[in-house]
Amino acid sequence: MEGEHDLAAHTITRRQLLKAAAAAGGAAVVVGRTGAAHAARAHLAAESGALQVLDWAGYEVPQLYGPYLKKHPGEKPKFTFMTNEANALAKMQAGFRPDVVRPYVGYVRDFATSGFVQPWDPRLIPNFKYLNPVMVKAGQYQGKQWGIPADWGFDAILYRSDKVKPKERSWSLLLDDRYAGRIAWFDDLNQLVWAGYYLGFKTPYDQSDEELKRSQDLLIKKKKNVRMFWSSETDMDNAFASGDIWIAFAWPNDWVLMKAKKLPVVYMRPKEGALSWVGMLMLGKGTPRYRHAHDFADAWSSVKSAAWLENNYGYGEANTKARPSSSDLLKVLQLANPNAVREPNAHIDRYVPRRRVYAKMWEEVKAA
Amino acid sequence: MPRRVDLRTPALLGLPLGWLGVFFLVPIGIVGAYSVDILSIVPGSHSLTFAGWHDLFRDPVYLRLFWKSVEMSFIVSGVVVAFAYPLAYYLALSGTPRKYVLLLVLIAPFLTSYLLRVLAWKVILGNQGVINTFLFWSGLRSPDHPISQLLYSRFAVILVLAYIWLPFVALPIFVSLENLDRSLLEAAADLGASRWQAFLRVTLPLTTPGIVAAFLFVFIPTVGEFVTPSLVGGTTGYMYGNQITDLFGTGFPDWRTGAVLALFLLVVVAALTAVFSRFNRVEAV
Repeated sequence: MEGEHDLAAHTITRRQLLKAAAAAGGAAVVVGRTGAAHAARAHLAAESGALQVLDWAGYEVPQLYGPYLKKHPGEKPKFTFMTNEANALAKMQAGFRPDVVRPYVGYVRDFATSGFVQPWDPRLIPNFKYLNPVMVKAGQYQGKQWGIPADWGFDAILYRSDKVKPKERSWSLLLDDRYAGRIAWFDDLNQLVWAGYYLGFKTPYDQSDEELKRSQDLLIKKKKNVRMFWSSETDMDNAFASGDIWIAFAWPNDWVLMKAKKLPVVYMRPKEGALSWVGMLMLGKGTPRYRHAHDFADAWSSVKSAAWLENNYGYGEANTKARPSSSDLLKVLQLANPNAVREPNAHIDRYVPRRRVYAKMWEEVKAA
Repeated sequence: MPRRVDLRTPALLGLPLGWLGVFFLVPIGIVGAYSVDILSIVPGSHSLTFAGWHDLFRDPVYLRLFWKSVEMSFIVSGVVVAFAYPLAYYLALSGTPRKYVLLLVLIAPFLTSYLLRVLAWKVILGNQGVINTFLFWSGLRSPDHPISQLLYSRFAVILVLAYIWLPFVALPIFVSLENLDRSLLEAAADLGASRWQAFLRVTLPLTTPGIVAAFLFVFIPTVGEFVTPSLVGGTTGYMYGNQITDLFGTGFPDWRTGAVLALFLLVVVAALTAVFSRFNRVEAV
């Protein structure tokens, strides 16, 4: 038979290929302009499915993307939770294809080069113009907008002011022998970063071998003072609220929570500089819900969602028009300062070229 | 005449062997492949390397953690056996007609979830927990100085693990005591042995296999434990199992090191089990 003969000879005509594709019931082979129009229509039709969002637990509440639900009634996004960026990458490597994923600013480059995300089209996000330009820039890589900045905040020190009298405004409070057994560190490799700032290194996000060793030695030496390495924020909040710990590497949210529990707490920004972070919504590569994803990012960027986040979670939002109702929050988040997250005010989280080495060093601190 | 092939044995063995192969040997093979980089989560090309294994033995940090976990598990197993033995002894030999009811009572807390039981200890051991609150109330300690070592410590991990595993240990000891030939005790008494002597020379040696089995029953799962230490262990109660889970997923993934640590644990536990089983032939139980 002709077809068999051709296949056997590894030669196949275009018509045969199309026929074969159609016969297999597979994807249509699209050629030319008419095909593109077809594809666009098919694309829109395919956009009806629920938006897949790979996000952190707590960010699935509808108040954070209200306008999206208004525009697409009855189309609640489907959330899958990530525990950290590496976990999100692992999920995507395993075949999960979210339309939107939220790594933090230090991972923009890692994700952009991972092949799992694509740049946004800011023209499709009307609220984009209200976003903090510093954060917008931090979401760019090689001139393209890979991340839409959303939530942001600091990594600094939360302490009980009735129990703790810091000698100075410094990261050293997390090492203080006087409060042995009352201190909590975050279970993350960025502990090596603040240690680097404390030790006065020039580039704590990119320490030399010798510097990393010194940071690691410091953490291992002072680990005896540390009661817990928290990875679940709730665990840390509970321990803090019950008085098991008095000093913690914490987020602004924890300060809000402890104040709500009427605990005398201070959120201290160390003189070496707090660390800061910005959540970056990223767009899944080849997403079949391109417009929906943009609408979702736009909803997050709206004043209403942003103010809700600030009021209820105690984090900042990149929308500069949004203001929390509490003046305390305004102060601690420095919301009036558009440069709050960047140098010299804070050390914004950034690409760590040797993240694997940092991770290994941090695991060794825990094991030591 | 050709012998009829008996297919019963292979048919009966097929399912468990297949199960073992698919759900035990193949996964171990996969973990093994990760440990030498044949499989890797890092994109790009990779080839066979024993660097992960080399690092494990060169850098003492993980081995020290391993021995710390072994030590903690030994303490837990020892404590649990010491508590469970008199308990099982009473149930099996006291002649109480309600022994099965009592056994049920012993197991009753296990109707609730493992996680809940561990979390309940947080309420008991915390700075504002049941124990400390009692001490404040009774004036034995000032509220400014609670006993903090109760929670987020090695002690907390050992205590909670011992609590969790107690019934599991009581059961094999109970069974071995139940199967004890009572006439031997009568004979010992006839020959003039005191009850204590009869216990030391007859009961204890005959129930040793049960004790060893019970000990292993606790030791093997607790040496790789990670849930309890992550909830009540804090920094000092951090165990080898926590390190493995962190390397695989909670922290920044390093599956190669994680796989090496997991396999090392498996090998050591298997070796220990083999050694113990030599002392403790199955038919003796």
